[in-house]
Amino acid sequence: MVTLDADALTPRELNEKLRELMARGEEVVVENPRSRHNLGVALPGPGHVTFKGSVGYYCGGLSNGGSVEIAGNAGWGIGESMAKGFIRVRGSVGQSIGASLRGGTIVVEGDAGPRAGVAQKGGVVVVGGSIGFLSGFMAQRGKLIALGDAADGVGDSLYEGNIYVAGHIHGLGIDAVITKPAAEEVDEIESIIAEVGMRLEIRDWKKVVAGRKLWYFDKREGQTWLKV
Amino acid sequence: MAEGMKRKLKQLGRSKVWTPHVIEDIQAKAELGHYQIRGFSTFFNIPTLDQLTFLPAALTRLPLEGYREFCETKTVLGGGKPDLVSQPLELDIPIYIASMSFGALSRNAKVSLGYGATAVGTCTSTGEGGMLADERQASKKLIYQITPSRYSLDLEHLRMADAIEIAVGQGAKPGTGGVLLGAKVIDKVVEMRQLPKGIDQRSSVRHPDFLGADDMAIKIEEMRDATGYRVPIFIKLPACRVTQDVKIAAKSGVDVIVIDGMEGGTGASPEFLLDHTGIPTMAAIPAARKALEDIGMYGKVSLVVSGGLKSGADVAKALALGADAVAFGTAALIALNCNAPLYEEDYAALGTEPGYCYHCHTGRCPVGVATQDEELQKRLDPEKAGERIASFLRAVTMEVTMIAKSCGKSNVHNLEPEDLRALTLEASAMTGVPLAGVDKVVAPWA
Repeated sequence: MVTLDADALTPRELNEKLRELMARGEEVVVENPRSRHNLGVALPGPGHVTFKGSVGYYCGGLSNGGSVEIAGNAGWGIGESMAKGFIRVRGSVGQSIGASLRGGTIVVEGDAGPRAGVAQKGGVVVVGGSIGFLSGFMAQRGKLIALGDAADGVGDSLYEGNIYVAGHIHGLGIDAVITKPAAEEVDEIESIIAEVGMRLEIRDWKKVVAGRKLWYFDKREGQTWLKV
Repeated sequence: MAEGMKRKLKQLGRSKVWTPHVIEDIQAKAELGHYQIRGFSTFFNIPTLDQLTFLPAALTRLPLEGYREFCETKTVLGGGKPDLVSQPLELDIPIYIASMSFGALSRNAKVSLGYGATAVGTCTSTGEGGMLADERQASKKLIYQITPSRYSLDLEHLRMADAIEIAVGQGAKPGTGGVLLGAKVIDKVVEMRQLPKGIDQRSSVRHPDFLGADDMAIKIEEMRDATGYRVPIFIKLPACRVTQDVKIAAKSGVDVIVIDGMEGGTGASPEFLLDHTGIPTMAAIPAARKALEDIGMYGKVSLVVSGGLKSGADVAKALALGADAVAFGTAALIALNCNAPLYEEDYAALGTEPGYCYHCHTGRCPVGVATQDEELQKRLDPEKAGERIASFLRAVTMEVTMIAKSCGKSNVHNLEPEDLRALTLEASAMTGVPLAGVDKVVAPWA
C-alpha cells in the first residue's frame, strides 16, 4: 500500500502519481483530500485508491478503470463520463453524479443532489438515499437506481435510460412515465444492490422510462411541454 | 393555377409585411402545429464584413510586391500559457475548418475536410458527434469538441486530440442545443451517439456537469489534467453578449475563444432562431477584442471568429479587427460541392435547385455532403473533394496575403483596424472603424 498526502502535492502532481500507481495495480491511500477538485481524474485500472475524507468536483471523472473509495462526501460530477471502473462514496454527493457515464458502477451510500445520472450513456449508478431534482435528465442508456425517494422532475426527456426508484417519486419530468418493472428486472437490480453491499429497506419498485413523445418532432411534442 | 388567383397572389406579394414567405410560414405553422426547421443559415439581410474596405498603401507606407514577396501566415492558437499548454495549436494558415458533426455531415465529407485541411497545414474539428476514426486518420490536426450532449466522449479520444473545444453554443441557433432529424440518426450515427434509431435528436443546451463560470473553470482544469497539460482548451460561444461572455470565458481559464456570429450555418435549426438571434460576426469581433483588452488578456488568450466568412477579404478583415484566426464552415461545404449544379433532378425532388438549396436537415443532400445515405455520399470522393478544399484554402490564403501585402504587411497578423474604413454608418458604429471619406468613427459613444 502507498500513501500520498494531498496537502504536500498539487492536484496535478497527485493525479500523475495516482495514475502511475494505479496502472501498476497498487493500493493507494490519499490523506487530506480536503474537498479539493479534480482529484483522481482519468484513472486507469487495475489499482485502487481510497480518499480519506471528502473530495470536490469530478473525482473519478473520465476514468477508464480501477476502483475509487471516498470516505467522506463528494462534490459535483463524480465519475462523469467514466468508461470503466468502480466508485464508492461513503457519504453524500452533489449535483450530476455519473453525468454522461458510459460504463462501470458508482455507488453512493448517502443522498445524491440534482441531476443524478444526467445524460447517462451506460453503466450503473446506485444511490442509497434519495436523488435530487431532474435526475436522469436525458439519460440515453444505463441504470440509475435510488433506494430512497426521487425529487421532482425525475426522468425528464429520457431516451433509453432506466430509472428505478424504491421510495416515493415526488414528481415526474416532462415525458417521463412510471411503469412496474418485470420480476426479472427486480431480481437484476436487487442483485446489483446486494453485489455492491447495500441494504434495501423499501421494495416498492417503480421504473421511470421515456413516454417517447419527445423523440419525434411532431404535433404531440409541444403538448408535452407547452401546456396550451 | 387560374389567372385570377395568380393576380391576387402577385398583389399580396407586393406587401412589405405579408410577403409570400411570411404567408407560407404562417400557413405551414397552421398546418403543422410547430415552427419550421431547416438547414444553412439566416436569409436576413444583416450587416456584414462587406461593409468594410481596406486602405492599401500609397504614399504613407510601402506596399510589398503582391505577386512575389513572402507574407507570413503561420498562426499559433493557445500559446499564451506555456505552463498550462505544452503544445499550442500551430497552423500554417490563419484559417481552419469549423466544428461540424459527423451526423450532420457524411463520413466522406468529414474525411474530405480532413484531407484538405491537412494538405495546407491546418486543422479540422470533430463537432458534436464524437471522434470518427476515419476523420482522425485523415486530419493531421484535429480539435475535439465537447458539447453538452457528450456523445462518445472518450478519454482516449481526448488524448488523441490536438485541441479541446468546449461548445457553449453556436451562432446559428444560440441558446439551444443541436438538432439532427431522424433521417440522419441511422447506422454509425446511432452507434456513436447511442440514440434510438430514427429519432429526431435535439441535444441538451446545458452541460451536464457544470452550469456557471466557476464550475466551468474547474471543468477546464479537469480537461487539462486528463490530457497531461498538453493541448489548448478552446471555448465556442455564440455571438450574443460578447463583451461579458468573452471576459467570463477568459477569466475561467480557456486558451482560445471562438466567437460564432449569427451568420453561422447549421445542419438543422428552427428557422426563426437563424434569423432573429445573435449578433453579426462583424459586430462581434471588435467587442471580443475590446473585452480581452479590458482585462489585459488580449494576446494571452487567442481569438477565433466564425460565422458567414466566405473569402480572403473576409478573413483579412476579421484579422484586422482583432481575430487571430477564423473558422470556415459553410464556405468549406460549398467548396465540397454544396449547391453545385450536379444531380439537378435530386435538388428538384427536394423542391429546390442548385444555388438555392438549404435542405441539409432532410438528409437528402444531392451532392453527398449533408447526408448519411450510403448511395448519396458515394457522390463525394474524399480524395478529390479534399483537393478542392485544399485549393480553396490556398486561394483564400493567397487573397489574405495579397491584401496584407497591399497594406504593407509582411505578416497577415499585422493587419490592424487602422487598415480599414467603413463603407456604411452602421459598420462604423458597430466596429469603431472610421467612416470612409470623413475618417471619423460614426458613433455618439466613440
